[in-house]
Amino acid sequence: MPEPTKSTISVTAQDPKKKKPEEKPEEAVKDGASKKKDEEKEGEELSEEDLQLKTELEMLIERLRVCCFAQPALETLRTLIRTSTSSMTSVPKPLKFLHPHYPGLQELYETWPVSDNKSLFADILSVLAMTYSDTQPRGTLRYRLLSAALSPSKQLSKPGSWGHEYVRHLAAELGEEYNSREFDEEGEEKTSEENRVPGTVDDLRTLAIECATFLLQHNAEPDAVDLLEELEIVDRIVDIVDENTYERVCQYMIRCVNLLPPPDDISFLRTAHRIYAKHNKFPQALSLSIRLGDSELIRKDFNAPANPSMKKQLAFILARAQVPKEWLDPEDGMDDGESELPEDFLECLSNARLSAQFKEFGKELSVLEPKSLEDVYKSHLENTRSTAAANVDSAKANLAGTFVNAFVNAGFGNDKLMAKAEEGNSWVYKNKDHGMLSAAASLGLSLLWDTDDGLSQVDKYTYSSEEYIKAGALLATGILNCGIRTEADAAIALLSEHVENKSVPLKTSAIMGLGLAYAGAQREDVMALLLPFVADDGVSMEIASLASLALGFIFVGSGNGDVASTILQTLMERDDKQLDEKWARFMVLGLALLYLGLQDGSDATIATLRAIEHQISQTAVVLVDMCSFAGTGNVLKVQELLHYCDEHIDKTPKEKKDEDEKKNDKDATPEEPPKDDTFQAFAVIGIALVAMGEEIGSEMSLRQFNHLMHYGEPTIRKVVPLALGLVSASNPQLPIMDTLSKYSHDNDLQVALNAIFAMGLLGAGTNNARLAQMLRQLAGYYYKEPDCLFMVRIAQGLVHMGKGTITINPFFSDRTIMSRTAVAGLLATLTAFTDAKAFILDKYHWMLYFLVPAMYPRFLMTLDEELNNIAVTVRVGQAVDVVGQAGKPRTISGFQTHSTPVRLGTTERAELATEEYIPFAHVLEGFVILQKNPGWEKEDKMDI
Amino acid sequence: MGNAPSGFGGQRPGGRPPGDQKDKKEQKKKWEPPLPTSVGKRKKKKGPDAASKLPAVYPTTRCRLKLLKMERIQDYLLMEEEFIQNQERLKPESTREEKNEEDRTKVDDLRGSPMAVGTLEEIIDDDHAIISTASGPEFYVSIMSFVDKDLLEPGCQVLLHHKNQAVIGVLQDDADPMVSVMKLDKAPTESYADIGGLEQQIQEIKESVELPLTHPELYEEMGIKPPKGVILYGVPGTGKTLLAKAVANQTSATFLRVVGSELIQKYLGDGPKLVRELFRVAEEHAPSIVFIDEIDAIGTKRYDSTSGGEREIQRTMLELLNQLDGFDTRGDVKVIMATNKIESLDPALIRPGRIDRKIEFPLPDIKTKRHIFKLHTSRMNLAEDVDLEEFVTTKDDLSGADIKAVCTEAGLLALRERRMRVTKADFTSAREKVLYRKNEGTPEGLYL
Repeated sequence: MPEPTKSTISVTAQDPKKKKPEEKPEEAVKDGASKKKDEEKEGEELSEEDLQLKTELEMLIERLRVCCFAQPALETLRTLIRTSTSSMTSVPKPLKFLHPHYPGLQELYETWPVSDNKSLFADILSVLAMTYSDTQPRGTLRYRLLSAALSPSKQLSKPGSWGHEYVRHLAAELGEEYNSREFDEEGEEKTSEENRVPGTVDDLRTLAIECATFLLQHNAEPDAVDLLEELEIVDRIVDIVDENTYERVCQYMIRCVNLLPPPDDISFLRTAHRIYAKHNKFPQALSLSIRLGDSELIRKDFNAPANPSMKKQLAFILARAQVPKEWLDPEDGMDDGESELPEDFLECLSNARLSAQFKEFGKELSVLEPKSLEDVYKSHLENTRSTAAANVDSAKANLAGTFVNAFVNAGFGNDKLMAKAEEGNSWVYKNKDHGMLSAAASLGLSLLWDTDDGLSQVDKYTYSSEEYIKAGALLATGILNCGIRTEADAAIALLSEHVENKSVPLKTSAIMGLGLAYAGAQREDVMALLLPFVADDGVSMEIASLASLALGFIFVGSGNGDVASTILQTLMERDDKQLDEKWARFMVLGLALLYLGLQDGSDATIATLRAIEHQISQTAVVLVDMCSFAGTGNVLKVQELLHYCDEHIDKTPKEKKDEDEKKNDKDATPEEPPKDDTFQAFAVIGIALVAMGEEIGSEMSLRQFNHLMHYGEPTIRKVVPLALGLVSASNPQLPIMDTLSKYSHDNDLQVALNAIFAMGLLGAGTNNARLAQMLRQLAGYYYKEPDCLFMVRIAQGLVHMGKGTITINPFFSDRTIMSRTAVAGLLATLTAFTDAKAFILDKYHWMLYFLVPAMYPRFLMTLDEELNNIAVTVRVGQAVDVVGQAGKPRTISGFQTHSTPVRLGTTERAELATEEYIPFAHVLEGFVILQKNPGWEKEDKMDI
Repeated sequence: MGNAPSGFGGQRPGGRPPGDQKDKKEQKKKWEPPLPTSVGKRKKKKGPDAASKLPAVYPTTRCRLKLLKMERIQDYLLMEEEFIQNQERLKPESTREEKNEEDRTKVDDLRGSPMAVGTLEEIIDDDHAIISTASGPEFYVSIMSFVDKDLLEPGCQVLLHHKNQAVIGVLQDDADPMVSVMKLDKAPTESYADIGGLEQQIQEIKESVELPLTHPELYEEMGIKPPKGVILYGVPGTGKTLLAKAVANQTSATFLRVVGSELIQKYLGDGPKLVRELFRVAEEHAPSIVFIDEIDAIGTKRYDSTSGGEREIQRTMLELLNQLDGFDTRGDVKVIMATNKIESLDPALIRPGRIDRKIEFPLPDIKTKRHIFKLHTSRMNLAEDVDLEEFVTTKDDLSGADIKAVCTEAGLLALRERRMRVTKADFTSAREKVLYRKNEGTPEGLYL
């Protein structure tokens, strides 16, 4: 170690100015930190009091060498160090003056016998070691532990008494030490004996807890969490947080979750959950258990509160997340009288009020009036060159009208074309064949969530002689039950008989109707109904695949073994020819949806899939893999998916391009038929799917898409817009909008088509004026392309979905929880668009209704404890990320004050503007039950 | 968007057959004004443009969350790099070169030649603008889709097609040449070590000017906004400019220096414009430090004046007020001002929020004087009999500059006699000389 001692002393003792020239070279040798300080010291003359302090310190050090004076000297030294104040830019004076003596003191320390004094000495050395952290790493920690070990009475002063900087320093060294020990365990011992830090890992951890407690008390919650995380004992933070700090700790931890590598993220979530549960924050705890997807925890959280209103609030949260009701039933065997939930709980839990409340919401916003197609198209604003061009394809235009009408008036049940059409004048009859199917099914969307009125209206079409209308009515039955659970269970009652029907449209409609109606419900009886179609080799691929998809919807994210094994079995047994069919992707998607969000839960399935010889296996692997990590933001998965896109697959092997170097690229079997490249398409969607859970990732993924668009083959290029739409569904960000607008003029019509649809997804239910304008321009631009025009119309319908009251963004509760059913719906729709020509533009346009599970009103309804609507004033503004900031910054910016019910945008947040009420929920979104604020004097358990 | 056919909305005579009455009535009131364009706004140029911008990372305090987010960004960038490398390997740029070349020639064809230069007056919508040409008239022209719209802003120079005057390119101009003069390209040699005393002042200026630029997170953690600027004041010769020089020497931030009198211009409106430009440049090169010396040249108290020049100076100050704490927030721009007469400054100029810290430079005390003497005599050959203490302890009102003058004068006296050493006598006469000059005009003891 360089010995700067002498030179520094001489400088200060004599006239510093004259010595300066000779000093310079010597100083340069010294290490950086001390050099700077020396320079400062030289630059200024020591003031009287400084000089006095310095001599005093020197005297104390001298005294230390004499045994009998040691103790008082140490005490004085300690007081001096502790009482010194420092500025931001310089080192505390006593430390500065003691710095040169440190090596000497170290030697002196070694000579002392074990005593209380030695412990005190070690303590002081530990502080001094801060100034030597660059040459003697972890000295602070070493002496701290020595001091703890030496003190027989265990009357050690707390680390906090040396000040904040010391604790921070100690915390940093703890982390380093722990990491190096971990590292050493793997490799060989190589830390030199002299500088070894004593103590076991447990000692380190005890010290860490002490530091963390100090940090928590001093508003440094992130530091505390970081420290414990580094020592891998983050779960022990539960015991040291109190009611003042837990909220900030939890928020910080939750924000970290998406960025942590796999085992840590779960443990963070669980720890945060435990903290919330300990402090009786039921909604927060429940939303974390929903995120974890742990039925055990959900049940426990749901049953924890005694307050019925709180319980109802929890029921609303569960209903929003579409958690199967069965999860809440007590474990079999131990049920007594209270197994049945009271009526009103069930009502909350089953979303039964959704339709009525949504209509109420529409009334408040005065958007109840049905909108006609022209209201949406606003074709008078379009700039078509000739008026004659309008009649290109009226069948297509009518079909588009069906969907636009359905999406725009969704849920209000009063559109002019279907629900409130005059007798015999229904829009259904303006369509032909498969158009009638979609038209009839659109009734379901119009009457969405309205199980009472809706069924009777749909009913009349089920007796139609026209096969397609009948099929459409079946689908409508399924659609309007989507997300609603009723006592009557009408969907299964009405649809189950048609599942066996000979007619393919009827059959598929019934199957998909069931799938949509029970999405996420995990109903065993529906499984029994549908599973045979998957298993049966005799039925066509279409039916088997759709049955598989329906099962995927119903058991989304459950990892259900029966369904999975059946689908796997089918994939293995079906002929190659059949697997080559376009339908196979839906079968695989059904399998993938089962593992949505399960992360590693799908490993076994993936291994099995790899064993399948047919090319479909690669698509399947990609799909299952990406679904398992949906919304996690896992970078490794994104990388893996990106690797899939690296390959350039030549779709035309017979052409001259064969000589190209692309050939070298692992195309091991040249004589095989053209290699299937669907997996690349899904890989692109997968990037969006994985990245969308987390803001940084979703922003960065845009750059990846840009490159994919630049380098990719047509297969990849055409799904990039879809991925863009998925990453920011119902969240029209300007840059994405511009990108999509550019793509919508692409030379490749497929790309343009998908870009237009993605624009619809991007703005779904936002009424975004800029998007509407872009789409109108596109309508003019593509007036000769019926397919594109059709898609423009659909996109227009999506933008005005529910007249701007419905969102399809799969994240809710302040964008923290991913709704699995919503993701399933979006994915299924996008899958249909991976080959738009074969599905949507063919006769399977009804697949657009796959979006239904993702649709949910973006409202905030405030209810009193009797579940009646009440109007309160709330502030609505852009959400601001305040995690880890000092103080209590505002959580929203640029807010406006409204009276509930209000409409919330994807990136908006609401907070109550009055103190008259106290909400039960932690996030003001969807249904929120309010409690009258009983006044400050009364003790209140569920404060804000 | 760019490729969309141009034309006006809502101009379709007889577009819709007059169907039901209601529909028609509605149609009349339903004309929607065109949306405001997103391009062509004067925007702050901060860092790289939007396409390659990386997401902002919150929180700004040092914590693991920030680290994780940064790492996440890095991971993505690495993946991007890997992907591009793979692609370049599989499908090198050269194969696409042809197509690019083709595109380029096509664009060149569209652009045509010769080209004219005009000024962009106003942007109407996404692809139309009003331009004026050197010959006088203004035109309503279209903007070609290949023009980088991010560069367009009102008042910029654009390239025009020779026939239809369409905008086909942007000429990027630079800032006012006046401002570029102010930029300091060679750091002064004076450092903190050359300042005698003034410890308190150094610390304050470090805290309020340097630290916010180097360690913004410290202030964030505390939950306060860092000070925007400081004013240095005190009697002449106490080291205000010296300290500013030391700051410039120390910092790696852009250092702009300007003297208050420079901001007074000949023509009406030029002064405020210069102030605006100054701060714009400062922001473009952020982090930066703006040093305005002798601020009393423009910053005196406002009063009713009939002189046009006087009013112009006041308007310049008003612009300065606005730039310091106006509607637009300034980023990492710190302001240092220096003056001798703080009492004559307009109170609005030095209110907290504009100038948060006022640092006084007093006359040196004995200790500082000693230090300053030592600094200035360190390179001189002094005779044995020189005892600096004598000069240090006298009760004269000597400022730092006076001390320097004494030393220089003593040296000159010695030089006159061709001596190699400076004697005590030199110092004594030098001191008298300096003190005499200092009190020139005010006869000693007249009013006592």
